[in-house]
Amino acid sequence: MKKPVMYLSSSLFGKLLPRSKRYLSTKEAIERRSHLFNLEKKRQLENVGRIEKIEVNYKGVPKDCTLVMNRNISTPYDCAKHLTQWHTESSVLALLDGTIHWDMHRPLTENCTLELQNFTVSDPHQVNKAFWRSCSLVLGACATVAFKDTVAVKLHSFPGPDIRSGSFIYDIDLPSLPDWKPTQQELHTLSAEYVMLSRKALPIERLEVSEELALEMFVENEHKTKQIPSIARSNANGKVTLYKVDKYVDISKGPMISHTAQIGKVSVTSVHQLVGTPESDVNQLYRFQGVALPTGVVLNHFAYSILIERAKKLNPARSPINPFGEPSHTTHKENIAATA
Amino acid sequence: MNQAEVTKLVSKLRIKIPPKHRKMSSPEGPEGRMNKLRKTVTGLFKYERIELNHNRADEARQYAERLIAEAINHGDCHKPTMEMADYWLLEKELVHKLFKVLVPRYENSNTAYTRMLRAPRPEYSYNTEKTVLELRGNPYPPLHNKQANNRQLLQNILLDAAKYEYRQTKYAEMAENIGKNEQEKPSV
Repeated sequence: MKKPVMYLSSSLFGKLLPRSKRYLSTKEAIERRSHLFNLEKKRQLENVGRIEKIEVNYKGVPKDCTLVMNRNISTPYDCAKHLTQWHTESSVLALLDGTIHWDMHRPLTENCTLELQNFTVSDPHQVNKAFWRSCSLVLGACATVAFKDTVAVKLHSFPGPDIRSGSFIYDIDLPSLPDWKPTQQELHTLSAEYVMLSRKALPIERLEVSEELALEMFVENEHKTKQIPSIARSNANGKVTLYKVDKYVDISKGPMISHTAQIGKVSVTSVHQLVGTPESDVNQLYRFQGVALPTGVVLNHFAYSILIERAKKLNPARSPINPFGEPSHTTHKENIAATA
Repeated sequence: MNQAEVTKLVSKLRIKIPPKHRKMSSPEGPEGRMNKLRKTVTGLFKYERIELNHNRADEARQYAERLIAEAINHGDCHKPTMEMADYWLLEKELVHKLFKVLVPRYENSNTAYTRMLRAPRPEYSYNTEKTVLELRGNPYPPLHNKQANNRQLLQNILLDAAKYEYRQTKYAEMAENIGKNEQEKPSV
């Protein structure tokens, strides 16, 4: 496992940077990460070896049927392709054996029953969560692409999906912009980037990689590098789950939606500053916030404007750099001292 | 006046009837029109859900509704009703279906017996507004999504949360005002 990774990465560095000191611009880092992701995915596919067949009992419209698929290769998306185009486009999550929610692009490992879930199933709780999580993921990707090359963008993290908070968020470190307040025009630009990314209808790919490879992929992002060991430890098999949209790779537990065209109406509504405590290693982060609706949801513009106004307020989710303080612009040093 | 009211002679249909019938041009004249409609009504009773042009669907629907209403009112021992069923249903086994299946199905219903929905129009076509005409209570999966009231849908969760927050701010404002009034009173 380890050997090919080292070989790959060293050869890649040879091509990109002949110098011994590692320095990567944001763009180069993205390319490199996506390249490593593709190589690892290819390697894992080749490692499957002899192809074994599994039986997947499909339940749902048009009728229940049994599909014979390939173990560790076929995904629920492949099953949907055997049904109709409608299934491939509208299915968000797969439900295996009536209990496990499975990504559409994650290979199946066992004989199972399969149900495909879209946004209008009778209990869309998990589907909604996957949608909100994916919205955060794509927000990170679109923030990465939106800035000029001179502005370093370091993605920090996004918390678990909380739909009732009214906005999905991504906390991002912009070290070269100490005091940035986005204008309305800049927010529009971010939203436009978002829409462009979602209109491409790109699949959200999933891959489980070892801790070493994950560290190698996120070598230039010190926030992610710090998070990776604990993520790997919390996972039962010691692996890190990565997701890739277009060429942007990110860490998340998942599950995610099937492809980006399932994100319909979307707006990036605001960017707030989060100030860290003196002990935290980062002084400040920017909290990017947005609101989105699934494709096909018709909501009148007045109702949607209410959602936008609400999403402009600072999301009360816990700040990663100041977890116990008020998530506000100012730190209350006196208060903390008084309580302590 | 001893004359009976015309509206009470015929059972009132539960759908909207346009003031004029459609001529539905045919080389055979009015008889050709009726033949066309008989075919459509027969198809509707046979398949329970059909897709066709809007004009013909709307016209045939009125005759189908009337036929079912008569069958329910008079039953299968009434000669005129049986003749009418015999005329409209080209395939005779459908007469049995009408009295043995459809009459029990609709006996206690208080809505129309058929449903008409707009269907997507073929691209680059003109003057072909497509319609789906179906008998209610058919065994097929429903055509329209009635789940907009599901509170678990994402848009409903978002709107509910926004409503809740708005009310909370209003309550907070009211509570503040109450406090102020009480403070003012002693000073007055």
